[in-house]
Amino acid sequence: MASLGANTVAILIALASFPVSLALTRFFMYWNFKHGIIGIDVHKPNRPKVPEMVGAAVPITLILFAAIYALTGGASAIPILAYSLVVGLAALVGAVDDRLKMRGIFKPLLTLFCGLPILILGFGYPGQVYTSTLHVPLFGGYHLPVIYPLTILVAISVTSNTVNMLDPLNGSMAGGISIVAGGLLIGSLLIGAGSMPVFLYASLLFSLLGFLYYNRFPARAFAGNVGQLSIGASIGALAILGKTEIASIVAIFPNIQNSFFFLSRIRRFTEHRELTSKPTKLLPNGRLADSEDPRAPLTLVRTLLIGRPAPENEIVSTIWTLFLTSTSLAVITLLLTGA
Amino acid sequence: MNTRAISYELIVFVSQWGLMLLGFGILTKLVAPLDLLNPSLSLGLYFDAAIKALIALVLSVAWLFIWDRQVRLFFRKRGK
Repeated sequence: MASLGANTVAILIALASFPVSLALTRFFMYWNFKHGIIGIDVHKPNRPKVPEMVGAAVPITLILFAAIYALTGGASAIPILAYSLVVGLAALVGAVDDRLKMRGIFKPLLTLFCGLPILILGFGYPGQVYTSTLHVPLFGGYHLPVIYPLTILVAISVTSNTVNMLDPLNGSMAGGISIVAGGLLIGSLLIGAGSMPVFLYASLLFSLLGFLYYNRFPARAFAGNVGQLSIGASIGALAILGKTEIASIVAIFPNIQNSFFFLSRIRRFTEHRELTSKPTKLLPNGRLADSEDPRAPLTLVRTLLIGRPAPENEIVSTIWTLFLTSTSLAVITLLLTGA
Repeated sequence: MNTRAISYELIVFVSQWGLMLLGFGILTKLVAPLDLLNPSLSLGLYFDAAIKALIALVLSVAWLFIWDRQVRLFFRKRGK
C-alpha cells in the first residue's frame, strides 16, 4: 500500500488513454473507409462493409501514453522503450500483413523478432527490463539464465498470434483482452506490484475499451492484424516486464485452447481466409451454427455452438464469460505467486 | 447463453489450472533438487539443466494432451 500514491497517478494518466483511443478509432474508421480499407462482416446476413485496420488506434495510444508516462518520471525509460518497440514492431508486422496478405507462416516467424527489443535492452541494461527468475505459484521460483531470455522471443510470438486467432466475432478479442488486462491490473494492485506494470495494464485496458466502443456488436470497426498482433504482443511484453508470466498464461486460457485445437487439426500455420473447411456456418435466420464438417478445426466458437446455434452477440457474451473465469484464476495465481 | 458449454469449459480450465500448479510442484520439489550429473564434470551443470528442461517439456506436452482429451470428450463426442 506504500505505493498507492504512485499507482493512483499511474491509473489516472492511463485513464486519459480512453478518450484518445476512442478519437483515434473514430478517425481511422473514417479514413480507412474513405481509402477503401474495408472488410466484410461475414457473420451478418446482409454482409455489411466495415472499415478494417482500425485497431491501429490501440498501439498508437499505448505507445503515446507509455512515452507520456516515462516523460513525467513515472517509470524508467528503458523498460518503457522496450515495451513500446515490441508493440510498435508487432503493429508493423500486422499492418504489412493486412496490406500484403502474407502466407500464414510469416506472422509467427516475423513476430519472433518483435521480442528482440526486450532481449537486447535486457542485455544492455541488466535487471532493468527483465530478470531471469520465473516465479511460480506456491513453490517459489527458478533461476533460468539461459532459457528465460530465449523464451522471450517465443513468448511474444505466441501471445501476439494466439490473440490474433481469437477475433472471429464482433468484440470477442477487444472485450476478452480488456477483461484480461483489467484482471491483471487488479491482481498487480493486490500484490503491490510496481507502478509501471500497473500503468501499462491500465493503459492497455482503457485503450481497448476506447476501441471496443466501436468494435462491439454490431461492429462498426475491425481491428485487423495491426490491432490484434500489437495487443497480443502487449500482453506478452507486460507478462515479462510486470513479472506476471504464469498468471498471463492462465488469463489467456481461452486463446490457448482456440489456437491449440486450430493447429492440432490443421497442422500448419494458415490464415482463416485460406481454410476450405469452415468451423461455423451462418444460418438464414442470422444465427451461427457448428458447420459439422469433420475436417474443420474445433475452435472455441465451434465448441460453444455444438448442438445449439446461437446469435453472434450471445456467443461473444459467452466468450467474455470464459475470459472472466480464466482471468479470475489468473488473479488467484498472482496472489499465490506474490510480488 | 450456452450454460452447458460454459460449464464444460469451466471444468476444463479449472482442471488444467490445477494440473499446472501440480506440474510446478513436481518440478520444484522433485525434479529441480535431483543431481542427475556430477557438477564437477565438464558441462555437467549444463547437461543437468538440459535434462531437467526436457522433463519440464514432457510435462507440458502431457498437460496439453490431457487438455486435448478433455475437450474432445466434452464437445466432439457430444456433438455427434
